[in-house]
Amino acid sequence: MIRQALILLQVFTLTAETVAPLGKYSAAERRHWAFQPLKPGEGGIDAMVEARLKKAGLAKSAPASKQVLVRRLYFDLTGLPPTPAEVAAFVNDKRPDAWAKLVDQLLGSPHYGERWGQHWLDVARFAETDGFEYDTHRQDAFRYRDYVIRAFQNDKPYDRFVMEQLAGDELAPEELETLIASGFNRLGPLRKNAGNQEVASSRNEVLTEMTNAVGAAFLGVTVGCARCHDHKFDPIRQSDYYRMQAYFAGTLEHDFPLSPAGDLKSWEAKIKPIDAEIKRLQGQMKLLGESDKGPIAQKIEALEKSKPPAPPTVYTVKSDMEKASPVHLLARGDYSAKGDAVGMRPLGVLLPEGAPELGKTDKPRLELAKWVVAKDNPLTARVMVNRIWNYHFGQGIVVTPNDFGRMGGRPSHPEILDFLAKEFMESGWSMKHVHRLILNSQTWRQASDTVNALAQEKDPENKLLWKWSRRRLEAEEIRDAMLAVAGNLNPKQFGPSVMVPIDAELVSALYKPTQWQVHPDPAEHRRRSVYLIYKRNLHLPMMEVFDAPDALVSCPRRETSTHAPQALELMNGAFANQQAAALAERLETLAKGNKTRMVNEGYRLVAGRLPSAAERKLALEMLAQVRTREFALALYNLNGFLYVD
Amino acid sequence: MSTNEHVRWTRNRREFLTDAFCGMGLLGAAALEAQGAKFNPLAAKQPHHAAKAKRMIFLFMAGGPSQMETFDPKPLLNELHGQKRPAEFGEAKYQFVAKDAKLLGTKRTFQKYGQSGIEVSDLFPHTAQQVDKLAILRSCHGDMVVHSAAQYQMMTGRIIPGFPSMGSWMVYGLGNEADNLPAYCVLPDPDGALEAGQPMYMHGFLPAVYQPTMMRPGKRPVLNLDLPAGVEIEERSKTVKYIKALNRAAMNGEDTELEARIAAYDLAFKMQMEAPEIFDIRKEDAKTLEMYGVGKEPTDDYGRRCLLARRLVEKGVRVVTVVSGGGPGNLQWDAHDDIEENHLRMAAQTDQPVAALLKDLEQRGMLEDTLVFWGGEFGRSPESQGSKGRDHHNLGFTMWMAGGGVKGGMVHGATDAIGLRAIEKPAHFRDVHTTLLHLMGLNQHALSYMHLGRKERLTEIEGSVIKEILA
Repeated sequence: MIRQALILLQVFTLTAETVAPLGKYSAAERRHWAFQPLKPGEGGIDAMVEARLKKAGLAKSAPASKQVLVRRLYFDLTGLPPTPAEVAAFVNDKRPDAWAKLVDQLLGSPHYGERWGQHWLDVARFAETDGFEYDTHRQDAFRYRDYVIRAFQNDKPYDRFVMEQLAGDELAPEELETLIASGFNRLGPLRKNAGNQEVASSRNEVLTEMTNAVGAAFLGVTVGCARCHDHKFDPIRQSDYYRMQAYFAGTLEHDFPLSPAGDLKSWEAKIKPIDAEIKRLQGQMKLLGESDKGPIAQKIEALEKSKPPAPPTVYTVKSDMEKASPVHLLARGDYSAKGDAVGMRPLGVLLPEGAPELGKTDKPRLELAKWVVAKDNPLTARVMVNRIWNYHFGQGIVVTPNDFGRMGGRPSHPEILDFLAKEFMESGWSMKHVHRLILNSQTWRQASDTVNALAQEKDPENKLLWKWSRRRLEAEEIRDAMLAVAGNLNPKQFGPSVMVPIDAELVSALYKPTQWQVHPDPAEHRRRSVYLIYKRNLHLPMMEVFDAPDALVSCPRRETSTHAPQALELMNGAFANQQAAALAERLETLAKGNKTRMVNEGYRLVAGRLPSAAERKLALEMLAQVRTREFALALYNLNGFLYVD
Repeated sequence: MSTNEHVRWTRNRREFLTDAFCGMGLLGAAALEAQGAKFNPLAAKQPHHAAKAKRMIFLFMAGGPSQMETFDPKPLLNELHGQKRPAEFGEAKYQFVAKDAKLLGTKRTFQKYGQSGIEVSDLFPHTAQQVDKLAILRSCHGDMVVHSAAQYQMMTGRIIPGFPSMGSWMVYGLGNEADNLPAYCVLPDPDGALEAGQPMYMHGFLPAVYQPTMMRPGKRPVLNLDLPAGVEIEERSKTVKYIKALNRAAMNGEDTELEARIAAYDLAFKMQMEAPEIFDIRKEDAKTLEMYGVGKEPTDDYGRRCLLARRLVEKGVRVVTVVSGGGPGNLQWDAHDDIEENHLRMAAQTDQPVAALLKDLEQRGMLEDTLVFWGGEFGRSPESQGSKGRDHHNLGFTMWMAGGGVKGGMVHGATDAIGLRAIEKPAHFRDVHTTLLHLMGLNQHALSYMHLGRKERLTEIEGSVIKEILA
């Protein structure tokens, strides 16, 4: 009976044009740790880590050797291996502050921005194509990638970084940099289809995508679940979700021209007759049988290719509240099942009871951004310092960096998390300040190869940080490091993304194979992976097998899987073999005919150390039986290369 | 199960060793102590519940085959040909055809086959002979009417990309029974790619180990399985031996992750040595080749791929998807312009191979533990597009299952009298997925993975097992 009444009530509330209540949040709901004000611990990272270890009856590990540390730090901050000379320079630097100096030096390296920019690109689900069937290339999306790299490089205050991405267009509509930044809102996949357009449902998909990305990236809450129903586990109501979405209701795609209006006009004038001709040919083709279509299809393809590239634009968004889609609660997330109307309001559980919705504004996302970076919002700083910690230690203080809700992990060291969050805000939201705090700690400099049976048994996942956890290189690091040790890396920064030669079989698997246009200059093929195109429907095999994200949703933490196709890629892949040939040449030069020297130099290049006696013996045995390029290939397959200790 | 697995594995390795051509003696006894199954992340796992089906072959009819022209006869549609859809059938939304489009009768004729007496159209004379093996689901439906989103939903349960495909989920749940072949293979149509592209087959947020292996047409079906130019096997086997020895020399005590990496090299090399032989369908006898229509048009290509699918599952591969249709719409089952021309052509390419696969599996005693699943991302509209084509249609269409645990010779569910809407026992994709998982011994709730704070599974909303078709 009651159940029936409830259903009736639901039907009624979903059909009537009413306004959703502001919602109530119980004390228990408000008590969840992530919503509490910061409670920073004292004494610094090391003291706090040691206190926890001591409580568990454990102790930290001895420091790693300088040789191990220098390689660890180079990969951590730049994503590239140190050269043998750089290793030697640090090992021989006897100054007491040698370590802090190296940290500063690498934080100033242009490669730092590339490496840490990549982390943010993962979080921002950055890719340069639409996905879905057309997977259209966004030729100007690279500007966002460059913006991110520069932001890290210049230590842009994180609160500003957030504001620019969420609402750069509203913050400073005439500034290119901020316009580029707010392209963040458009980075997700986009479905376009021919025929009868499903305008409302497509719009709903776009708004959903934007809202989810903002929740995950900046707030560390999975608002997405609440799209269809009140969040089962977190105090996020369906109304909270749609109130968040309301900030985006007036957000429209915007391609801001970078060239004078005249250029745009003349480009349009050039394109128009080509498009008309293509349309005519397509019409003609429809009348032909399957076997006669070939030549016309070729003509169309040639015409497509003959189009001059579109003039440069900024791929961004703008708010037009006149055109704002009205936002309603949607039953089960279905856009055709409209319920109560809602307006803008941040997450209710973080607001005083009964906080009203925001009234009319021309700059809705800016309002949201201000709330996100407000100093009394406990989530934003916590979420970002946890990300930074996660990338330094391989595991966050909260192991689910995109989810600080009740289904996410509990913080292993809440006092450190809050200490860093406080430091972060007080330093003017400086990411480099947080890096320094972490990297200069004894905790980060512990050895990773500690054998400690007790600790292994009590804390196998190393949550208490009784050692540093060895990590496998990420896909981009593997490719970049192979180029670097072969002496092939092109350090050029920024600019349009590069398409590299790949197996024809992969190109032919594209719905539109002509989309893959290999860059004519081979030097471009040797650039860092962050400058290669990120195409949603075609990933490079190296990226695919080594767990690079698919850029369809925010990726807070990469998987590290181990499987046979990785071995096949590194043994038989064209790229691995090309770089092995180049490394072999380099080794021949360095060896000057001496095989022992070749082995030593090889290990110094790929592993940052000399081989052990046993390794040297095996390597010499190997070199007596195979060509140098096979030895070079083996070097790329060494754990000493693929892992950081 | 794991013991059997180990025994089989060892025997294979010994056979492998004695093969002089491989030069595997070079690997040496010590290397053979390698960890194999123990460190193989794809080692076979126990299902959630006892089940007949151990593997699945999905015959994916891309582009959307018409229900009215295949397995769902609609005499009334012919009577109403040229008229507007009577109001009592309700509304439907199409991608292209307008609201006032006229109904299109079919030129196909239907006939009863087998002991079950189920009607099958003259498009499928060979498959019709196997009808007693099929459970025909006439009441399938999905949410999307455009290819990409519908393909995502059919493969991954979601209308957007980024979620694991059912193949990846199955491999995540069950592992692989073959150690020399990939666990999950996709055999795309050489005519080209599909709208949803690569992401529909992929592992989404699952670890990369669950990704599919695309077996492409041409000389190199699997990327990186052949040696690079200018490298001989004698030399390369030494390289592999030393990679492993050097990695072992650097190990510090017991280390499961690094052992797994060494094992991955064993598996990779084994795959490289043994898989090409399995890919080579010339090993089959003439009778079998003929049964699949290999060596003649228009069945040669799909026949080869169906035969390859059988060879793969025979060796323990968990999931194989064999795609019919690729490239521009008309080279798929996407009959916008001319349903007759398109479906006659597509059916002629696939009918004999599909029937041969069912027969072949049966003859080898494999049909009872191999699940065969046939269908597209949607069906087609009862209305005509242009004068003789049919548009996409997602509200009611046909798929079928056969083999492992499926009751054959039956029809499940029904569409209305013009084939517009599933009205009897409708089966949403999520029900189809739940049923496929169930048949493979997997439970939709137990097969889950934490992602972005959510326990994700193949069926976003709980699906129901279609119990009526269980044997």
